[in-house]
Amino acid sequence: MSAQKRGIVKHIHKLISEKEISCTELTKKYLNEIDKSSLNAYVTVCHEEALKQAKEVDEKISSGEKMDVLAGIPMTLKDNISTSGIETTCASKILKGYKPIYDATAWRTLKGKGAVLLGKTNMDEFAMGSSCENSCIGGAKNPHNTNYVTGGSSGGGAAAVSGNIAAYALGSDTGGSVRQPASFCGIVGLKPTYGSVSRYGLIAYGSGFDQIGALAQTAEDASIIFDAIAGHDPMDSTSNPNYKSNSYDNLNSDIKGLKIGIPKEYYDGVDEEVRKPIEEAMKVYESLGAKIEHFSLPEVKYTLPVYYILVCAEAASNLARFDGVRYGHRTEHYKDINEMMCKTRSEGFGAEVKRRILLGNYVLSSGYYDAYYKKAQNLRKLIMHAFYEAFKKYDVLLTPVSPTTAFPANKAYSNPQEIYLADICTVPVNTVGIPGISVPCGFDSKGLPVGMQILGDKFSESKLLNVAHKYEIATDYENNKCLAMGVRL
Amino acid sequence: MITREAVLNLANLSKLYLEESEIENAQKEIEGMVNFADEINKINIDFEDLPELESISNAFHEDEIKESFPQEKILENVDGGKDGYFHIKKFN
Amino acid sequence: MFGDGGKAMKYDLVVGLETHVELSTKTKIFCNCANKFGSEPNTNCCPICIGLPGTLPKLNREVVNFAIKAALALNCEVSLVSKMDRKNYVYPDLPKAYQISQFYEPICKNGYIELDSGKKIRINHIHMEEDAAKLVYKGGDTYVDYNRGGVPLLEVVTEPDISSSDEAAEYLEKLQMIMRYIGVSDCRMQEGSIKCDVNVSVKPEGSEKLGTRTEIKNMNSITFMAKAIDYERERHIELIENGGKVEQQTLRYLPETNSTESMRSKEDAQDYRYFRDPDLVDIVLTKEQIDEIKKTLPELPGVRFKKYVNEFGIAEKEAMLLVKYKNVSDYFEESIKGLKNAKTVSNFIIGQIFRSLETEAEKEAFEILTTPSQMNELVKLIESGKLNMNLAKKALMKMLESGKPVTEFVSEKDMQGIPPEEMKKLCEDAIKANENAVNDYLSGKEKALKALLGSVMKQTRGRGNAQDIETMLKDMISK
Repeated sequence: MSAQKRGIVKHIHKLISEKEISCTELTKKYLNEIDKSSLNAYVTVCHEEALKQAKEVDEKISSGEKMDVLAGIPMTLKDNISTSGIETTCASKILKGYKPIYDATAWRTLKGKGAVLLGKTNMDEFAMGSSCENSCIGGAKNPHNTNYVTGGSSGGGAAAVSGNIAAYALGSDTGGSVRQPASFCGIVGLKPTYGSVSRYGLIAYGSGFDQIGALAQTAEDASIIFDAIAGHDPMDSTSNPNYKSNSYDNLNSDIKGLKIGIPKEYYDGVDEEVRKPIEEAMKVYESLGAKIEHFSLPEVKYTLPVYYILVCAEAASNLARFDGVRYGHRTEHYKDINEMMCKTRSEGFGAEVKRRILLGNYVLSSGYYDAYYKKAQNLRKLIMHAFYEAFKKYDVLLTPVSPTTAFPANKAYSNPQEIYLADICTVPVNTVGIPGISVPCGFDSKGLPVGMQILGDKFSESKLLNVAHKYEIATDYENNKCLAMGVRL
Repeated sequence: MITREAVLNLANLSKLYLEESEIENAQKEIEGMVNFADEINKINIDFEDLPELESISNAFHEDEIKESFPQEKILENVDGGKDGYFHIKKFN
Repeated sequence: MFGDGGKAMKYDLVVGLETHVELSTKTKIFCNCANKFGSEPNTNCCPICIGLPGTLPKLNREVVNFAIKAALALNCEVSLVSKMDRKNYVYPDLPKAYQISQFYEPICKNGYIELDSGKKIRINHIHMEEDAAKLVYKGGDTYVDYNRGGVPLLEVVTEPDISSSDEAAEYLEKLQMIMRYIGVSDCRMQEGSIKCDVNVSVKPEGSEKLGTRTEIKNMNSITFMAKAIDYERERHIELIENGGKVEQQTLRYLPETNSTESMRSKEDAQDYRYFRDPDLVDIVLTKEQIDEIKKTLPELPGVRFKKYVNEFGIAEKEAMLLVKYKNVSDYFEESIKGLKNAKTVSNFIIGQIFRSLETEAEKEAFEILTTPSQMNELVKLIESGKLNMNLAKKALMKMLESGKPVTEFVSEKDMQGIPPEEMKKLCEDAIKANENAVNDYLSGKEKALKALLGSVMKQTRGRGNAQDIETMLKDMISK
């Protein structure tokens, strides 16, 4: 059992504030390991910027200034979170060379606290995928077994945290893109309530579904990061005007009497090797005084088509702006503006992105809107109501994150729907707008991590982190296995 | 079956060129995805009874001018543009 | 044509207008960049209004207030809940590749504008939206300036209630006037701050069924709009008479040749794929809020016009000149406080003041040195009989040049007028000195009296009241 698994953020904070290691030295260690790493976790590494930020932190420490707990902690951002002056590509050819002229709010907040940005992490192009393999630089590799995928779309961030080449990462979760790779890589992934973390600067995929979330080694780390980035942002109209988080203070609250609902539909078609560790986790919770109750939530079954219809529609509209006029790739030869835009887009986007744009425009196009988009909107409301009713009975729900553990890399799929089915356990959270956290709860026979998912009502992140943290303590972090790679502290 | 014309129309709306092989592929894929999406049309529920969900409303900015970005910054991602404009050079 | 004995078929013209009114808020609709015309290219821009990835819109509160004002002034219902939608189309002037607009639930519905004839042109709805950027084509290259991108617009959409080009022109003039009155737009057509899309169709007289319509885009002159409507009307009728069919299409008007040309036909009509913009939240209003705004609305030009004609006895043509620009009408209203005859002020404005304001823009600005209270003081002197019209007009010209009050230009003596005895003496003197004129008058030459009058007026140095003097002269001569 390594000390750092019990909360690397506080551990590093202690090391640098007690001057056992300078922030610059630490950052160099990370940059070194990143350069040596074969995980393909990073799209861009920010050597200069990271060292510059580290130096500033060191100066503050030597001047005796009081440091935020996140100051000097080397971290990463998914490549769809805008960073002023630092290339932000969404792992797409179409944004090659694009350097934002402003910072995403979440990044601006962390930067203000002295965070050290190591780089921008790999992802499925425009966050469309569950393997990280739809990336223009190829997929990231799972640190537990590099022949397996990291999951996606925030695969690079999950690989970096799991492989100890970043202390934590910010990802984005539109249909499971934080939770699923966290589960595949054996770390914690928090998808916050829609409206709790500003979306300003997050390059949109499905605007009504996207949330920035934390990928961390433990629930405690996730709590510290979440408390820092959550809260109202006037730049985001959908950001909750009254929300503030202090989940950290609630981490150790007693969970005696907690009512945990087990919605049976989530367990249909789930691998035995995934189901078993989750059932073990239920026993752990019972031993902590929680009550487990099985129930049915049939509306979950509608979620997948509803989600794909709505999210593809929004994506088709969100991605229409990549036309070569203002930034990013522009084709060389064209005979008129229309051809310039069409060629730019055809060259710039990968197959999965094109597929989703076409489907999105299909469901929005005249004659089909009512049958698909409008119907899906109504069903979305229905699903929301079903979940709100469930949370009148249960404090949290416990489900799998994915029907399987990580799948082998470069596996060819005969059709896209097969891949979409893998998202069945994660998309309801985004469809409803509630928070969900993925917590490591064991390993399969191949030694690949298994995750469980804890869901709560809107703005119940504090409870989810508390429930996750209690489990980690009770199991002595045995599932948050520290891998013998990357930076060792 | 999604017709070839329908796919071409979608490609046009999407501002994408599809290669000959891609068109056929897209026909199949869209067909598959449409079947998948059609799942929802098998569900018969009266939506009228659902109460409205609580949601955030009225997020406004005040009508006060804040400084705009310098022109150079605005044009930074197009190599400075031309004469202060975003520029699409003559078609060839 | 052959079957009905050569009797020419008559047609009804059916026109509907979609008018885009650019709002004069300080900032753009979704960001805090200045809403300003005529700046250097791409200088009123930020990541939001050039649509950089990851940016989010935030609605300008004032745009909502302006929309409510417009709704109230145009007799519309204000929706207590309205939403923003995306209108998707890809073009370099649209940085997000969609225009944020209101399609499903616009902020105002069901209003009307009343024409002078009493006919009401119904307004289907008014919605809020953003303007597109400006494209400049030069030497085959395309240049884009995003300063105008994100400028707030209201689109006012009528029912097809307009049945002549004159009605269309009157509707648009009235709309323009109302928007200016309530202070939401300067409606300068030449700057493009008000633009019109015109839907035209014809149908056999009295028929219920509407004909196929064509849409003329982007009209920014009332004169050309009227011409375009007349041209389209003739073209449609000619097509139908010759056994042809009107094709539904979008047109552009060409002023040089007074004709229209096709921009696109129905087949390549745009599919805008409207859907609710997930980046923006509902606009929820209360009745109280709307009532508060109602209180701030000024008296509208229609109301003022009726008041001027019916209560003040001002001729319609002149009343129209007074209400056309709010500054003029406000000045008039302020100046007439406590006066017996508002017409005097009206005459001064149209006669004296407008003479020095040559252009429409100058009239609209109505920047004059004489304050309403100085005007009021001047007219009060006339009404109390202390100052005659002649002197008043002369004084007004000097007042307008200097901004000084009337008392600077007329002496105590001027204002006292001529004592009756002195006047009598002056008249007697004039009669004695102009025997010829008197004889001429007595022999029936009315005009001869003018010479006598002129002579007396000269003696009074303009202080005398011409009418009084004339009466006095007549009395004396006939004795």
